[in-house]
Parts: sequence; structure tokens; C-alpha cells
Amino acid sequence: MEAAHGHGYGHDEHAHHPSGLMRWVTTTNHKDIGTLYLWFSFSMFIVGGILALMLRAELFQPGLQLWEPHFFNQLTTMHGLIMVFGAIMPAFVGFANWQVPLMIGAPDMAFARMNNWSFWLLPPAAILLVTSFFVPGGATAAGWTLYAPLSTQMGPGMDLAIFALHIMGASSIMGSINIITTILNMRAPGMTLMKMPLFVWTWLITAYLLIAVMPVLAGAVTMVLTDRHFGTTFFNAAGGGDPVMFQHIFWFFGHPEVYIMILPAFGIVSQIVPAFARKPLFGYSSMVYATSSIAILSFIVWAHHMFTVGMPAASQLFFMYATMLIAVPTGVKVFNWIATMWKGSMTFETPMLFACGFIFVFSMGGFTGLVLAITPIDIQLQDTYYVVAHFHYVLVAGSLFAIFGGVYYWLPKWTGHMYNETLGKVHFWLTMIFFNVTFFPMHFSGLAGMPRRVPDYALQFADFNMLSTIGAFGFGLSQMLFLYVVVTCIRGGAKAPDKVWEGAQGLEWTVPSPAPYHTFEIPPVVK
Amino acid sequence: MRVVTEPEYKPRKAGPLEVAKAVFWSFLGIRKRAAHEKDAVTIKPVQVIVAGIIGAVIFVLSLIMLVRYITS
Repeated sequence: MEAAHGHGYGHDEHAHHPSGLMRWVTTTNHKDIGTLYLWFSFSMFIVGGILALMLRAELFQPGLQLWEPHFFNQLTTMHGLIMVFGAIMPAFVGFANWQVPLMIGAPDMAFARMNNWSFWLLPPAAILLVTSFFVPGGATAAGWTLYAPLSTQMGPGMDLAIFALHIMGASSIMGSINIITTILNMRAPGMTLMKMPLFVWTWLITAYLLIAVMPVLAGAVTMVLTDRHFGTTFFNAAGGGDPVMFQHIFWFFGHPEVYIMILPAFGIVSQIVPAFARKPLFGYSSMVYATSSIAILSFIVWAHHMFTVGMPAASQLFFMYATMLIAVPTGVKVFNWIATMWKGSMTFETPMLFACGFIFVFSMGGFTGLVLAITPIDIQLQDTYYVVAHFHYVLVAGSLFAIFGGVYYWLPKWTGHMYNETLGKVHFWLTMIFFNVTFFPMHFSGLAGMPRRVPDYALQFADFNMLSTIGAFGFGLSQMLFLYVVVTCIRGGAKAPDKVWEGAQGLEWTVPSPAPYHTFEIPPVVK
Repeated sequence: MRVVTEPEYKPRKAGPLEVAKAVFWSFLGIRKRAAHEKDAVTIKPVQVIVAGIIGAVIFVLSLIMLVRYITS
């Protein structure tokens, strides 16, 4: 793809915006809002991470040492909610804000003021979640899935979580509307849909998924709210309701949500791998097709989360087959990444290390997903640490590794400085090693029968748990190095060229580094 | 004097079978480059969406038929 723009970026007199705190409160600039999203996400990542370390500290040895069981349940619940809704999802929206306009040659997002509102809804939601620990009864301890009847019984912490989910859902829906409108209407002349970078494609599809399922979650938690306070009995069997219905509604949201958290990661990896293999992405169109296919299939597999709840054998088979079939388009993607690397002139800078780490470790998470898709095996493994290992392999080694890769890939464009490559690589290896030390033993403790969401366990699980806890603290501390690398890169460092990576393709590399406050006021022409 | 203008090139609209074929391959996640490039000019987005929904319904129905056959 070639781009031509007759616009000099040598001056930045357009950057007349309020300074200080008000710049960030009132900003409608997609780059500022992207930065806000990314910092918000990192703060929540730290909060969720501290909760995780509190969990792992308790599980270091059998017996109850630090926390009473109810507080432990609050920690597991809030760790899940904060990581999913506060860390992973906003991080990808941050990437979308920074990169989508830059990659399609648009001057900003379509609805710039709504963009500001989408972001500023998040801090109040985060405050509701975090302060819920301090209300009577503490935070919700129903698990991040908020299953009824647990969720219909908790104290006011549950109400705070419900309101937080409402707010974050509204924010996600507005963000999605913005992203879809921007992509469909503001592409540079000549950039047809099938010329869009894959990151933009994956976000277009993700935004549709978000619009489809966030209202379902909002409906589910609203029904919980009315059951709690307004006398309805949607999920109360004594009043003619059905607690299992909550699970169906929740997972009809929850499974597409899994893909909401992984499709943008696929997009980021699909940008990084071609750049460092110095070859165009293998099978671009099949990548687009596979992404759409995964999105469609994600709507018909939800009950694989509920095999032990009880359902007719025919339903079990249906959900088992449908789930296993998702491996086909996902496999297409993995093979396409590997084919892109095949005979490429590869170098392994930090973004590429994270992309390769992603492909390797995410595939392992995908395979354990296939194991869990088999109904009779799932019935054995339901609610064991095997499940915990599986979803951390796809959400940490999948989503989080892609986020790290994306940050290192675009950070020079955002800040105008090169980050410290050596420290970046050290960060990758520490993260990769400690991730596996933490989560690989969980497969074994799960297979041996250790249930999840317990503060105490039988003696035979002690060694694996001790190992997991050591790994978790190593993983957590390694992320301080990430913070250090990013902060030092923002403060200074070698000047980054416009095209930071030799093999990188796309419009974002045609603007200077750091990207000026306003870009593509005159649309570039894509040939 | 007659002005000779180049006839405007209009790609022909794809027929239902071609759309079905494209959607079938998209479910698998694979498509030949040449076939994809032809699709890009002949198939309209509305056709893809309609065919995609029909494809998804057929997919679900065939899975249901399969599991009924197995459990019967």
C-alpha cells in the first residue's frame, strides 16, 4: 500500500488545546483519549494484579493464613471483574482510539465528544468497583459470572458492581458505535474495506459483537437488581423463576465477550508478524473471513460453560460440536501467522517476541479449550484449576501478551522515542517464564482435582500451589519493569524515525514520530 | 463530430450460487486470492450479510439434525 499526502507535518501550530488537567478532562482528541484509556487500563491491571497476588499469597500453603473465606471469594470475584472490564477491554479500546484513525487516514474518531464521554464513564465505574470492598458485607463474592442465587443474596457491594457494569456497558456500546462509524465512513480515499489493516478489521467485527452482547449483560444484571430490590423473581425458583436462566443469559453475553477480548489481539499480532518477518500477511482475506466466522460461531456455543448444569444429551452434543468447530477458523489464523513467518527475514525485537510468545502460548490455551469442549471431560474438569489454567492461557498469554506487543510496536510512534530494547526483551522473557511457572502447574492441580475459588485445599496440591504463587509474584513484579520501560520512553530516549520498523506497512508510519496532535486533516490517498 | 467516450465499466452482480460459495469458504476461513478478488468486485455487502445469516441458520440446523440422528 502506498500513501501520498501533500501536507507538511513540520509544524504543530494546530496543537492549541487547554493544558494541564483540563486538557485531559475536556479532550476530544483521539490520541489523548487513547492515552487516557491505556493509562486507565494499566492502573486497573495493577489493582486487579494486587488482588491476584493476595489470592496467591493465601494459596501459597494449605490452611487459612491471611484471609477469611468470604473475603477470599470477594478477591476472586473482583480480580475477574476488574481484569475483564477494567484492564483488558479498555486497553483494546485505547489501541482502537490511537490507531484506527491513524491506520485508515481519518483526522479523528467520528463522534469526538461521545468519545470523551465513553472514557470518562470508566473512572466512576472503577471507583464503584473498588470502593465496594468498604461497604457493609464487602464487595460481591458471587464470582465474576455473578450467578444467581448468589448474586441475589449479596450485600450492597453487589449493587455497586451492577451499577459499575451498567456504566461500563454504556461506555463500551458508545465506543463501539464510534469505532464502527469511523471505520465505515472516514476511511481515506482509495482505502477499500479489503485494503484495511487487519487490526482495523478485527476491531470492526469486535465492535459489532460488543453492540450485540453488552445489552444482554445489562439485561441480566438489571434482572438481578430487580430480583434483589423490587420483588421480581426472574431467578428465584420459589417465585416461579429459574436460576439456570441467569446462566444462559450470562453466557450468551459471556462467550462472545471472550472473543471481544481476543479478536483485537489477533489484529495486533497480524500487524506485528508481517512487520518483523518483512513479508505481507499470508492469506489476508482468509484472515478477514476467519475473524467473521469466529464472530458468528461465538454466538452458538455459550452452553459449553454449563455442561454440568444439566441439559438434554442432544444439546450437549450440539454445543460440543459447535465449540470444537471454532478451532477451524482459529487454526486458519495460527497457520496464516506461521506461513507469514515462513522464509521471511525475521528479527526478534520486543514486539515480535511478544507476538511469537502469543502464538505459542495462546495455541496451548486453545488446545486446552478443545479438551474442555468435550462434554464428558468437561464434566470431570468443571470448576477445577484446569479451567483456571485454560482461560489464563488465552486471556493472559493471549490478550495481555498482544497488548504488550502492541504497546512496544507503537510506543515509538506515540512518544517519538525508542524504548530500551534490552529491557523490553528482559520484560518479555521474565513475563513468559513467570507466566508459565504460574499457570502451567494449574493444569496438573486441576487434573488432580483441585477445585477453583477455594481459599484452602488438600495437602496433595501443596507443591503445585507453592510453585504457582512463586510464579505469580515473579510475574507481578516483572510488570514493574514494563512500567519503567514505558515511563523512561515517554521521558526521553533515541529519536524515533517516522517509519519505526523497517518492514512495517500502513498509514500510521507516514506521519512523524511522535504523531502530531492532529493528523490527516487532509486525507491521504491510498493507491 | 462524434465524441467517443469509453464505456463505463460496471462489474456484474454476483449470482446467489457465487455468494453462497464465498460464504461457505468464509465459514472455513479460507479463500483463494483470485476468487477473493473476484468476490470483492462482484459481491455487494448486503448480499454477504444476507447469505451469512442464511449460512449460519443452515449451519445450526444441520448440527441439530446431526445430534438428533446420533441421539435417536
